[in-house]
Amino acid sequence: MVADRIELVAPLGAPWEPVVRLVLGGIAGRMNFGFEELDDLQLAVERLLLEAGSQDTIRLVFDVTDRAIRTHVGPLRETAIADALQGPEPSPGDLTLRRILETVVDSFGLELSDSGELVVRLEKVVRR
Amino acid sequence: MPSSTRRSFVSDRELLRRYHEQGDRHARDELIERHLPLVRALARRYVGRGEALDDIEQVGAIGLIKAIDRYELSRNVALATYATPNVLGEIKRHFRDKGWAIRIPRGLQELNAKLSPTIERLTRDLGHSPSIPEIAADLDTTPEQVLEALEAGSAYSPVSLSVGSTSDGEIDPMDTLGAEDEEYERSEQRATLAPALAALASREREILRMRFEEGLTQTQIAQEIGVSQMHVSRLIRKSLAGMRTRLS
Repeated sequence: MVADRIELVAPLGAPWEPVVRLVLGGIAGRMNFGFEELDDLQLAVERLLLEAGSQDTIRLVFDVTDRAIRTHVGPLRETAIADALQGPEPSPGDLTLRRILETVVDSFGLELSDSGELVVRLEKVVRR
Repeated sequence: MPSSTRRSFVSDRELLRRYHEQGDRHARDELIERHLPLVRALARRYVGRGEALDDIEQVGAIGLIKAIDRYELSRNVALATYATPNVLGEIKRHFRDKGWAIRIPRGLQELNAKLSPTIERLTRDLGHSPSIPEIAADLDTTPEQVLEALEAGSAYSPVSLSVGSTSDGEIDPMDTLGAEDEEYERSEQRATLAPALAALASREREILRMRFEEGLTQTQIAQEIGVSQMHVSRLIRKSLAGMRTRLS
């Protein structure tokens, strides 16, 4: 059940990443995420923003339930992300975007928005 | 003390010879351990500038290790003498690179300096990674202030990750990346970081391996390698950013 939704449209680029991290921190803080869990989720979003390519803006939607934050990041025009996330399992020793996300969030996936654009979904569960 | 129980003392010079001529890693470790008090003494000079002492010590230790690795046996100078400017240079460069790229109010800098030891202590006391409200309560401040202070602490200048050699002759840690892996032409796999991983300095590579292959938490890695959890977090980001810079 989605209890609350927070949406943020931000310019894509390093100067605005702190704003995204602060919003994530504010949400995670209210959900009693541990500092490490927050850091993991921030890292996942940072990696996606970095890989998003040359588009001007990015939309982040945070669906907050009583046990998890589900984050949608998109639209992503860099289709290599889809290949990276849907490709074969990383070989041992490979450090791919997929492996990073597998480590730092509980689940992730690719979705298409209503307008057919690529969106990545990240879910991080509260442990306590 | 009877001679049979006296631990034989091996000079710095002999340890340096064993390390550089025979590749004796134990000699290197002994040298590092022997000179860590020097690093601590030098690091204390920089307390009160918005960084936790243990983080400054970690940075200084990198300078010590570089000094040991670069020491030339033909030099007729004590290791402590040779290492001191290296340690100070590493610390100064850390502050310069970090440099509070945006103007951070002094109160936030001071709060930031308290965060790392507070998180370490709360993690031990609570048995879990503390939440932002728990950190705020412990520091008698608000969660928003904690978040701002955390953000202030992560305000590393992105430029510092790719500036290359510095004007004072020191080498940026990211420049210690090996040059043997030239597979950058695989740039169509933009999300694949493996080639750059192979070129990372061994310490960073080991941290990434522990985090993303073994699945250790930041706290577990911090305990394993003897740095703060926040420092592990920064090293992970710095390594990933450095790898990406190379791929780009």
